[in-house]
Amino acid sequence: MHRQSIKRIYGMVLLMLFAVLLMSGTVLGASKQVLEAAKVKAAPAGLDDAIWNEATAIQVPFEGKESFAGQKASVATKAVYTDEAVYFLFKWKDPTLSVVKGAWQFDGEKWSHQKGNEDRISLLFEINRINNFATKGCAIVCHVPQGAPNAKDGKFGTTTAAEKGDLWHWKAARSDPAGVADDTWLTQISDKEGGRKSDAGKGGDQKNMTEDKSAPKYMLAPGKSLAKNDILLAAHSVEIPAGTVFKAGDMLTYRMPKTAEGSRGDIKAESRYAGGGWTVMLHRSLDTGNEDDVAFNTRRKYNFAMALFDDSGDENSYDSEVLTLEFK
Amino acid sequence: MKPPEPITTTKDSRQRFRSDETKTLALNDPVAWLKRITVAGDACAWNRFVGGVLLALVVLLFLSGAFLAFYYSPVPGAAYDSVDFTLFSAPFGSILKGVHHYAWNLLLVLAIFHLARTFVAGAYRKPRQLTWISGVAILGLLPLFIITGDLLPWDQRGYWSTQVRMSIIASIPFAGDMAVRILQGGALTGIVALTRFYVLHILFLPCLLALLLAVHFYFVARHGFAERLNGKQAADHPIAFFPRVVNRWLVLFIVTVSLIALLTYYWPPPLGDPADPTDSTYVPKPEWWVLFLNQLVAIFKGKWAILGTAVIPGLLTLFLVGLPYLDRSPGNRPAQRKTVIVVAALLAAVMIVLSLMGYFEHFGLPRQ
Repeated sequence: MHRQSIKRIYGMVLLMLFAVLLMSGTVLGASKQVLEAAKVKAAPAGLDDAIWNEATAIQVPFEGKESFAGQKASVATKAVYTDEAVYFLFKWKDPTLSVVKGAWQFDGEKWSHQKGNEDRISLLFEINRINNFATKGCAIVCHVPQGAPNAKDGKFGTTTAAEKGDLWHWKAARSDPAGVADDTWLTQISDKEGGRKSDAGKGGDQKNMTEDKSAPKYMLAPGKSLAKNDILLAAHSVEIPAGTVFKAGDMLTYRMPKTAEGSRGDIKAESRYAGGGWTVMLHRSLDTGNEDDVAFNTRRKYNFAMALFDDSGDENSYDSEVLTLEFK
Repeated sequence: MKPPEPITTTKDSRQRFRSDETKTLALNDPVAWLKRITVAGDACAWNRFVGGVLLALVVLLFLSGAFLAFYYSPVPGAAYDSVDFTLFSAPFGSILKGVHHYAWNLLLVLAIFHLARTFVAGAYRKPRQLTWISGVAILGLLPLFIITGDLLPWDQRGYWSTQVRMSIIASIPFAGDMAVRILQGGALTGIVALTRFYVLHILFLPCLLALLLAVHFYFVARHGFAERLNGKQAADHPIAFFPRVVNRWLVLFIVTVSLIALLTYYWPPPLGDPADPTDSTYVPKPEWWVLFLNQLVAIFKGKWAILGTAVIPGLLTLFLVGLPYLDRSPGNRPAQRKTVIVVAALLAAVMIVLSLMGYFEHFGLPRQ
């Protein structure tokens, strides 16, 4: 055989070899939606930073549950990351801004709670593998069927203590005005308590009400101002002095966001409601070093699922299928 | 009871010990023995490096597999966690797992190439029939490593690929069901199946491979190399097995390790989602090496299924094994073996076409 022909054959074999090896490095059969986090040199400065153009958005479909059954929603989702942190950007249509969350309103004689809840979006990652979360998503921890071991005392938790989830919970009224998403985690449901726990540290919200629950206890402290959407932060409140006069129509926040500290305040948030929709950015260190947080290793993939709440409580939500987060 | 006799040293043993002391290394005798071995000069020819790379890959797979076993737990669920830990938490775990993953694929590709080259050179013919048959047996053994190894991470791909393979095996008349029960230890793929696959993968199959390699090398050493592809005779001047051939193998080993380590650094080995036996929506896609067999199964259905699962693969195996005795051509050169070359080319073409059909069916047509 001619020497040149032999060389050509060897060359072709080497090319095929490389192609086959690359092909063997892919996971075959996976059909989940993948969110690719793009590596960026600098952190996004905000919701409109041009650096977001480096990430590809995916439209994540959501199915309505309970009172939203039969309805659908969609969230445009992007992610980028730096050497230190990961950033998510969510955009979804919502014709109504909902931040009431039972706010107090004075009618000239007495205080009463306004009707209305708040808009929210939540993400659930695995800290330790949750059995079948990768295939069933929230169905395995959020909406378990009646009679399942983790259906007791609420509907949110894992089956064993070894399974742990990291729940990122952005709340338009209770966390966003404080610039955070509530950082909580998920563990086993017991007979006595649910599986949802707050991360170590301080945060969450404080109920603004008197002991007899008939009226608000706090008002804006002198020299302080209301936060976004006229929400009163716990840190900016002061007990209502005796003799304070309110006029009809005055309103006061019922669930006052607290300043988040420690592991509970790991997830920073920025948001805007405009043009009939929300734009929300969440970001967190890749690895906080806290046991109640998922530690992101950019070489691996992560399963996560999302839920959307439109002026609704926990039981009424739009849920996504489980997705895969990949760091590119 | 008679008391034990005290340990004493005889004059002869003391003299032998003093004689050993004069040697620089206890390995001197084996080294001298190795140095006396000579092989044909072509053993170090650069166009005959495939066999050396294959040996390097086998050693690499044994070593990487042994280190991976340190972390592995053959229990459903825990198996996935242990592989995940190896990949992302254990020091150099990702490299080890990647080397193990890519080395298998490389081994299979090169083994097929080695077989094809041997075929074209006519090196299966007398007196090298048993060299060829032992080589075919080695090639036939490699998929068993992959089949048993695929299940070990207990991920979706491995689990559901195993289900497909078990259903194909079970469809073989008479022996299929029994083979599946023996492999799985029951009707379902659970902890017993995982344990059996693990033991097969790390113990029985490696022992069998080592035995076949020894047989293969024995026949290679006994009958020498075949003619070169360019028609010239293999170099007949003998060279020392040690250090020349051993050094060549070491060079190939280092180069192979380096290249695969680089590959795995940039393209980490895959690990899918944990296996969920209740997730019937998962459709595993066949790997590159099994595409043509998978397509045979897809073509022949119902009462003809046995053609795709057993008859055609069996005939192909018989053809390969019996080739040295079927080929009655007058000489070894390809031009003197036109009938065999044409038949083999047709078979290869059919396999490639079936593989392409399988690829397009499972992965879609290339984008315009």
